[in-house]
Amino acid sequence: MKRREFGTMAAAIGLAATPFGRAFASVADLEPTSGKPVYFRGWQFATDIVQSNVKRYNDLEHGKISYATVTGDYPSIMEQSLIAKADLDVLYANPSSAVRYYEGGWVMPAETLPAIADIKADMLPQFLDAWSYDGKLLGLSYFASTRGCIHTNLLAYNKAGMTDKDFPADWDALYDQVYALHDKGIATPILPHWFGEYFGISWGFVMEVLNRGNPVADPTTHKPTMTTDPNGPAYKTLAQWKKLWKSKLVPQEVLTYNEAAYIDAFASGRYVFSPQQIYDVQTMNTPGRSQIAGHATILPVVKQSWGLIDSALYLMTNRKRPEAQTDDVKKFTSWYGFKDGDGKIYVGERWMESHLLFSAYKSVMDSPATEARIKQAVARPDDYAVLLDVYKKTPFPTGIWRVVWSEEFNSYLRDTLSKFLLNDGDIADTIKAMNDQISSLNDKYGI
Amino acid sequence: MATIANKKSRQRRRELTDGQFALMIGLPVILLLVVIVAYPLVYSAWMAFHRIMFFGGYRAKFVGFKNFATVLSDPEFWWCTWVTIRFTLESVILTMLLGLGIGLLLNRPSRFGSLWRTLVFLPWCVSLYGAGLMFAYLARGQTGLPTAILADLGMQNVPDFMTTRSIVEVLAIGSSWTMAPLVGFFVLANLKTIPKRLYDLAAIDQLTPLETFWNVTLPPLRFTLFVFTSISIVLSMKLFDLIFVLSDGGPGDASSTLTYQLYKVSFKNLNLGYGAAMSFFLLFFIIGSTMALYLVWGRREKAL
Repeated sequence: MKRREFGTMAAAIGLAATPFGRAFASVADLEPTSGKPVYFRGWQFATDIVQSNVKRYNDLEHGKISYATVTGDYPSIMEQSLIAKADLDVLYANPSSAVRYYEGGWVMPAETLPAIADIKADMLPQFLDAWSYDGKLLGLSYFASTRGCIHTNLLAYNKAGMTDKDFPADWDALYDQVYALHDKGIATPILPHWFGEYFGISWGFVMEVLNRGNPVADPTTHKPTMTTDPNGPAYKTLAQWKKLWKSKLVPQEVLTYNEAAYIDAFASGRYVFSPQQIYDVQTMNTPGRSQIAGHATILPVVKQSWGLIDSALYLMTNRKRPEAQTDDVKKFTSWYGFKDGDGKIYVGERWMESHLLFSAYKSVMDSPATEARIKQAVARPDDYAVLLDVYKKTPFPTGIWRVVWSEEFNSYLRDTLSKFLLNDGDIADTIKAMNDQISSLNDKYGI
Repeated sequence: MATIANKKSRQRRRELTDGQFALMIGLPVILLLVVIVAYPLVYSAWMAFHRIMFFGGYRAKFVGFKNFATVLSDPEFWWCTWVTIRFTLESVILTMLLGLGIGLLLNRPSRFGSLWRTLVFLPWCVSLYGAGLMFAYLARGQTGLPTAILADLGMQNVPDFMTTRSIVEVLAIGSSWTMAPLVGFFVLANLKTIPKRLYDLAAIDQLTPLETFWNVTLPPLRFTLFVFTSISIVLSMKLFDLIFVLSDGGPGDASSTLTYQLYKVSFKNLNLGYGAAMSFFLLFFIIGSTMALYLVWGRREKAL
């Protein structure tokens, strides 16, 4: 007997009230009815996994999902597609893009999903907060990560005579140690988060200022909060960047790296510290992939947090389409971004298993399978607790990411910061210019 | 009667001038281009005179020549214009020299002539996206060819070419690598039309190889070289893919050509009116430079 037939029969004889009943009853709920395709688009990451997830949905639920990837500057391309009302139903987005798309009136919030209460109940509070706008949850969890936790190459670190006890506790101590390591003969002690992607140098600045205690812009009013006080977070960040750039410890080509080149650079073993994705602990500890496999760890949280929340959601567009097709979009999003017909967070768990992508769902993160998986990826058993602690304490730049102009400011930051380094820019002038840009964007959008 | 009619018909055909004949066979393409190009061109012109907003509902506000004035007063525009000129000059010169070299080399009798021709033509078949990725890997200190060579020689230097000083040259090399084979093949086709007896006469006159090249080989190539110089100028000035993949306009804005800047203004910042105005300056530069080339060089040449 097929699973679906069994489910139907089971429902018919009143088993819906049993623990299995809900799962089987939901099978019928997730099957599309319109007969029309649902267009699903995402960036290029592990596309084989996505393809097979989509195939599973199409096979089990008789879906007609059309999946394709988008190459290039993802946020801009998707924005053009949304403006052009292209065939697009479900898409990946970072929270900042999600807010912009929502303000543009191009996406519908996840609130419209039938299982929204269950989804919210299972979501870790920091992500529920980060992904909500105007009181509404905008999308479902693709991944939730810490970008900018400080990966440390223990091979080089220990060789320089340093141990865990010497780990820097904050950004200033980290930079001090960079120069100390250089004095001990290490040519390139740090690979800063200055690469060329839209989430490169600009996010590198934001995370450092956040970690030092300034939100960049007020979370509620979105007014700029950076000051030109030499002891202020923004000033200290730029001062350290300027010193590092002038020391020539960082090759200029970092500014043109894409993410793959940035990861490869640290995996080459030439650097000691680098702000990287938390899930890339696995990459750095994979033999054959990394020269420091088995010797890569991350710095613990002592005096301050490290990095910022880097996450992505599955969003649903609200382009014009028949009601039945919109229902199919919701069903697929629910299946893909939350639970499948068996009541399992299949996609989320698979991402954890295959790529160590953290999820925003408690049931994924608290599961014994996840614990085992993370322990398998880290270099030392104790690193598991460190990893979770760093992850839990990661801040989110609400002031500049939960606002419609976020992507515009990000693009501006990327250009401004690169030029600041290349042209030996003035620190106070640069901070003032950034604040002015925030104010001008607030004016532009009437905030 | 039929014979007279045929004779008249033949006379009419003979009366077609070169220009008329060119127009006759080119007309369908010209009409198609007008249809395809006219709409976006007119729409761009409309956008250039408006400020277009998408948030809070789509709105377009007429602003007259404000977008054009803003372009002219924008230092970033002038910087990108300079980068475009520098890149175009380097790219075109390299492309033409490489293309000429390829054509001359392939014209020499060789045992594996077909194989060489296939191999040499391959770069033209590679997408600009692929070429961009390849040259990024080659030029970076991290993964670059010079680093590998130096490492083989026992040196630990990491030569970095992705710098503000050399990034335009890296782009020009990448661009000419993809374009030169096509030029080379047209040069080769042209070379095949040169009668062998001209070379025999040159030998009888005891011309040196350089004199033979200058007086026998080059004259029939000059029109082809002019045409491809024009094409290379246009392609270089509007090149985007390679720049986007190889350097993303960086480091900083060191490789931001006008096309890249247009993309940034229009599609990243959604400033469509301003971007459209800037695109007309680029169009002006492209038309201006090809016209200048025609005046300086092209009008003296004639297809053989």
